[in-house]
Amino acid sequence: MGSADMTEHTVKSFEDELNHLTAEVARMGGLAEAQVSDAIDAIVRRDVPLAQSVIDRDVRLDALDAEIEKKVIRLIALRQPMAHDLRRTVAAMKISSNLERCGDLAKNIAKRALITADAEPMIALTRSIERMGRLVAARLKDVLDAYTTGDLDRAVAVWQRDQEVDEHYNSLFRELLTYMMGDPRTIGPCTHLLFAAKNLERIGDHATNIAEIVHFEITGGDLISSERPKWDALATPN
Amino acid sequence: MPLLQSPSPVAPSRRARTPWRVALTGAAASALLLALGVVGETKPGAAVAAAAAVAMLAAALTARSLREDAETRPAEPSPETPSFDRTPAFGAVLESLPEPLMVIAAQEADDLAGRRFVLANAAARELFRISGDRALLVTAIRNPEVLEAVDESLFGGVPGEAAYETAGAQERVWKALTRPLQPAADGSRLALLLLRDETDARRSERTRADFLANASHELRTPLASLAGFIETLRGHAKDDAVARDRFLAIMSAQAERMSRLIDDLMSLSRIELNEHIVPHGRVDMALAATDVIDALQPLARQKRVALEVRAPSRGVAIAAGDRDQMVQVIQNLADNAVKYSPADAIVEVEVSAGQSVETAIALRAAQASRLSLVMPDEAPHQRYVAVRVTDRGPGIAREHLPRLTERFYRVEGQKSGERLGTGLGLAIVKHIMNRHRGGLAVESLEGNGASFIAYFPTACAEAEPARPAAGVETAPPPGGVAGVGATKVS
Repeated sequence: MGSADMTEHTVKSFEDELNHLTAEVARMGGLAEAQVSDAIDAIVRRDVPLAQSVIDRDVRLDALDAEIEKKVIRLIALRQPMAHDLRRTVAAMKISSNLERCGDLAKNIAKRALITADAEPMIALTRSIERMGRLVAARLKDVLDAYTTGDLDRAVAVWQRDQEVDEHYNSLFRELLTYMMGDPRTIGPCTHLLFAAKNLERIGDHATNIAEIVHFEITGGDLISSERPKWDALATPN
Repeated sequence: MPLLQSPSPVAPSRRARTPWRVALTGAAASALLLALGVVGETKPGAAVAAAAAVAMLAAALTARSLREDAETRPAEPSPETPSFDRTPAFGAVLESLPEPLMVIAAQEADDLAGRRFVLANAAARELFRISGDRALLVTAIRNPEVLEAVDESLFGGVPGEAAYETAGAQERVWKALTRPLQPAADGSRLALLLLRDETDARRSERTRADFLANASHELRTPLASLAGFIETLRGHAKDDAVARDRFLAIMSAQAERMSRLIDDLMSLSRIELNEHIVPHGRVDMALAATDVIDALQPLARQKRVALEVRAPSRGVAIAAGDRDQMVQVIQNLADNAVKYSPADAIVEVEVSAGQSVETAIALRAAQASRLSLVMPDEAPHQRYVAVRVTDRGPGIAREHLPRLTERFYRVEGQKSGERLGTGLGLAIVKHIMNRHRGGLAVESLEGNGASFIAYFPTACAEAEPARPAAGVETAPPPGGVAGVGATKVS
């Protein structure tokens, strides 16, 4: 897989090039998904080799992001795409940089997994992390499915359910505080779990961003956060 | 079979000519059918694996023999063999294979957009929600390990293997197997991808681990109390008749608690093992709700709680699912509502048909908190039959909402010991809703009661087969959004 294919396929149609770009972003999405779910597994199962492999694999995402960016710039320069084609091109670049951030956050979770693996196991807490992690991973999967299939409804659904992750995060935060107050020896590992949860929450935010980008790619319009229906929000006044 | 197209090696076996090939094709196909027949009656697993292996062998062999036929003897007239007519077309055989199977074509190794499906059987189309012909491979599969295994077969010519998990409401674990195929006539490379479902094995493994972790902890408390009382009865309370009676009563209550806990754990693990299998059946939720409420009346009367059902008339609220499990959902929700109701309060059970997810879980009280505990996978046109159970109890604080369906989670912590719950009721509801591809939501205002809403997919019209294929629009339910208030029981 080199960047030389532009010269090899000069007769390739513009549509083919765009498909190729989408395919690259989708593949990158697959890698990011695997990184996130492996990082969650690593911290939940205290799996040191898995955590190490997540850390090592992060360079692939960085390289793909750089490659996609280069291709997009080249494509804009040479083909000067318009309207939907332009949005598709820009969306590919923006999604890839969001995915790259997801990879970084997964790597950070994996690093914390290396540390918490040495501490005493805290089954109730790692369960909560796992539950939140599965939710975040499912959001990432949904939004990438929406991207690859061009499914607007699915992208909007991911965007609308943004609140769920926050609720899990808040609940986990309280749980961690209770543990730390109960036994100061757990403050070290609990802090790492807290950061891991925060990282998961941010991965969820990136999924929301990607949903917005997919919406922009398909419709050309923005999703406005004030119009987000609060149907699953916890709307108690406090 | 819209995806069966020219570059695919699969074609009607009518073209097979020499007797040995006919025999080979016939044998492979009948072995496959035999294996499939076995699957229908006994447990899947080994039989499915056998069927898959046979299918692969058959596909590879047929592809080769067909190509030789086409290339070497194009004009030769075909001699008829009597056994030949019983051989089904291979396309049809692959199409009905219970395991997802795909043939992937590619041109060059660096051309990601060139990798496309040339064939995807019904199971594969359902799993990956593939709609168009010759879709890009990455639109369905992004897992890096599976893509690598496919590449190994496409460009390395060697078989590949990868573990693959599909997330979503029902997590499933697959083993992806890839095999190289002969290149197509137009020179593109072909590979076979077959997914084998290993969810059962993985799940029973995980359930066992969970059972040990949770159950041992939960059983220890009543057991410790039993042991303590036995000790006392043997020691200084030996001759004290009054104390003995009192202790025996407590011991019997603890023993009952242990047995309830074990019952719940067993039913939970049973439901979990079947969670990825969609249940078949048509259930009138109005009747089911009325039955449950009738059965609960004695308990409610004891607590001086009034139970009210509001449901559409018979035949309107028909949901798709397993009746026993749906009854269990209503039972567990209504049971909780009665348990947490103060005396002289009302518990309402409301059944309504033709709801979308949004209307089913619409907020009733403006200031209430709400959370979806189970969300079905996205299906915009799906309509649901909703059961809403509302109590006037103390309500649930917002920080507890996300954790309600967790096993052994109790809102009041360990204090709730005197209440009859095991902490598994809502966990069971959650798994049943998951299995039915339905949803569960809770709405609560602290100090002002709580509502639980369980919604099941509407059953499709009577004449149709029990399960619609993924992506097919479900017909709107008879009568549209049905009114409530037809029958009233209290």
